[in-house]
Amino acid sequence: MHTEHTEHEEIHADHGHIHPAPQGFIRKYVFSLDHKVIGFQYFFTGLFIMLIAGSFAELIRIQLTSPAGAIMSHTQYNEMFTMHGTAMVWMVLIPLVTGAIGNFVMPLQIGARDVAFPWLNMISFWIFPIAALTLFSSMLFGGPHAGWTEYPPVSLEDGTAGALWCLAIFIIGISSTMTGMNFMVTIQKMRAPGMTWTRMPLFCWATFATALMNMFATVALSVATGCLFLEHVFNVPWYDPTRGGSPVLFEHMFWFYSHPAVYIFIIPAFGVVSEILPVFSRKPVFGYKMIAFSSMAISLLAFTVWAHHMFPSGLAPWLQLPFMLLTYAIGVPTGIKIFSWIATLWGGRIYLTTPMLYAVGFLITFTFGGLTGVYLACVPFDLHEHGTYFVVGHFHYVVAGGAVMGFLGSIPFWYPKATGRLMNETLGKIGFWLFFIGLNGTFGPMHWLGLEGMPRRYASYEVFAKAFPDAVFWNRFESAFSFLMVASIALLIFNLLWSLKNGVVAGLNPWGARTLEWTISSPPPYYNFKNIPHVFDGPYDYSKPLPYENLDNEQPEFPEFGRVVMPIPLQTAGAGAH
Amino acid sequence: MIALVGAIIVGLVAFVQLKNDWGAQGLDASVTKVLLGLMAVGCVLVLFASINVLGYRG
Amino acid sequence: MASTTAGHLSGHAAVRARYNDVDPVYREVRELRLFGFVLFLLSDCILFGSLIFAYIYLRLSAPVWPPYLAGHQLQWFDTSFAAFNSVVLFGSGVTMHFALENWKHLHREKFFGWLIATIALGLAFLGGQAHEWAGVLRDGITWSNTTMGSSFYCLTGLHGLHVFIGTVFLAILGLQAKYGVYTGSKYQGLVAGTLYWHFVDVIWVFLFTLFYLW
Repeated sequence: MHTEHTEHEEIHADHGHIHPAPQGFIRKYVFSLDHKVIGFQYFFTGLFIMLIAGSFAELIRIQLTSPAGAIMSHTQYNEMFTMHGTAMVWMVLIPLVTGAIGNFVMPLQIGARDVAFPWLNMISFWIFPIAALTLFSSMLFGGPHAGWTEYPPVSLEDGTAGALWCLAIFIIGISSTMTGMNFMVTIQKMRAPGMTWTRMPLFCWATFATALMNMFATVALSVATGCLFLEHVFNVPWYDPTRGGSPVLFEHMFWFYSHPAVYIFIIPAFGVVSEILPVFSRKPVFGYKMIAFSSMAISLLAFTVWAHHMFPSGLAPWLQLPFMLLTYAIGVPTGIKIFSWIATLWGGRIYLTTPMLYAVGFLITFTFGGLTGVYLACVPFDLHEHGTYFVVGHFHYVVAGGAVMGFLGSIPFWYPKATGRLMNETLGKIGFWLFFIGLNGTFGPMHWLGLEGMPRRYASYEVFAKAFPDAVFWNRFESAFSFLMVASIALLIFNLLWSLKNGVVAGLNPWGARTLEWTISSPPPYYNFKNIPHVFDGPYDYSKPLPYENLDNEQPEFPEFGRVVMPIPLQTAGAGAH
Repeated sequence: MIALVGAIIVGLVAFVQLKNDWGAQGLDASVTKVLLGLMAVGCVLVLFASINVLGYRG
Repeated sequence: MASTTAGHLSGHAAVRARYNDVDPVYREVRELRLFGFVLFLLSDCILFGSLIFAYIYLRLSAPVWPPYLAGHQLQWFDTSFAAFNSVVLFGSGVTMHFALENWKHLHREKFFGWLIATIALGLAFLGGQAHEWAGVLRDGITWSNTTMGSSFYCLTGLHGLHVFIGTVFLAILGLQAKYGVYTGSKYQGLVAGTLYWHFVDVIWVFLFTLFYLW
């Protein structure tokens, strides 16, 4: 008997046994090790916090309907925009795009039964509500006031609230880092046999690129906030210039993380769009390799451009220049993707279902946001516009019009897989238009207000309004339109709940998509795949037969090219009717 | 003094181990080789420190 | 597992055959855990890297180093004791390497001997650090009156914390080995412990250079 087994066979024999089903409510739904349940947990927690942070945003908008400030004192306003930003960045966006969609979809798409370290995954999730509680408890002590960036020395005036802010961010950083590591190992080591890197779905490429940034950048944030915490509580000088420290040091460390953070928001959304567009154009993705490699390029370049958030901080000009050039450079892979997606749509048979609407809307709003980013990359321009509403408009377009749009598109797309029912299409479409119009109405005017000089983070803008009287109208315009976005989210929540009972029953593959998650039942069993499939081609070529062997369901519903029966509005007896 | 003698011994041992393990394959072996190598460099630095070539106040 | 059939091989080949010859499920789990652990160590590099960046930044942007405190300029850190302490730590790295080698060759008693030596040297290093800190405090440098102090205490403190966690980790590994968790071919935890210990060693090389030799 030879000791060197045929390694290939052995390793890929069955990817491990199927462990017994979890028993009991706690094991199944509370402390679950199942990546799908953990994905749900992230989803509900993130959505709940989005409601809180979103209501802070509405309070901000109401405040700004009057130039003297309508409802809050200046201190309260500062607390509002700080908490809105902090909660949205760390407690909503990152958990939702990485923890919710990443956790649920990625293992299914690579043909794995779970992530590499399920226990770590569970811990990563449970850290998240603890961090959120810590963050919101800071409001009991007056709340942090210095903006979501909490620069010292201003942030050092926050007292206990500031220390709690630091602690909350530190805690959620641990969760992010662990999730990043988990996903990297999962994608590297647990793909189905035959699934080479270039046969992997693009959402998984996106998740890998995101996990890389998540794992390595978040640690720098932990150091920045850890040192800030020490300075708050123990008076240890890192950022105090009178004892040798430097506030710019905080900015360097903070933005070294926070720039990759914005790519952490957006790259999963890129992945979602890459999944949705081919399905509803019935065409392969154009430039698969370009999209995949550009995600990796963005992921690596993201670590080199942080100081473009610091141009007015007194950086030496010789230092500003390379950051400016690298920031321009990082727009290139993103642009490659946009063009590839447009080419994917070109000549396709387009079905404008709700996910498709969000994906196409993403292309529009994210491109706007990206273009204003190119303006801001230019140092002379940024020196004028830093700290104005132009920047606020830019980042809300890329974040709300990019990441959130992608996330909202992923919900109706994968909801049938997660629950076995389709979401209501009419409500979904209405929700999309409310969100799209609301977004453009709220954040569009911010660009010209910013160019006229309206400063951000100001609780009142009387001086500006004297110089630019239209400001009052535009602020009220923005506030009015922001309520459309509120309505859209409310409709979404209603739709989520309503469709659980009343949605059209989805079969395995209501959209006729070709990635692995659509070959198993909806919702999937806890072990995902009874037989791990063997893959022998990429998932996007609709003209070829399905590129898998050894599937659980030998004949999954896969409509042939040209004979797709979209389940909306009519669907008879599940999706198996061909 | 002791630091000098210790640095020489430890450095030599580290270097010898590195040479022995040079051909080993695998992720853990590669990481071990890198770290042992850096540790050997550290021993050299400590050696210089202990003979006052580097460092302050001997 | 079929380790008996590896009897006809010798030396390194035999070791490798025993190492590789495990059931396929475990082999895969081992690959996952090792890769995950190395990624964790890389992120730990960034942790120290960021703090080291902060120290270098503050030091380069200071008008004079060592900085002034209450009118007089502070002294450089004294290299002699730290050099000795460094040798202690590097020695523990070497002993850990021998411990793992002995385990691979199935010499259990020697493994435990070297492991205990490693832990002892690690604790000695921590004792040495405490002595060093006491000395620096006596010189008037606290962690809150100057960045020379804050950077020194925070960085060496973080490193010391890692060393302490490392000794606890190694102790747990030793107990696990004693109770038979690891075999001649399944000893992933021991590999992880060794890598962690070497990592902590190498970080100290950087810290020693940055604080005492620069």
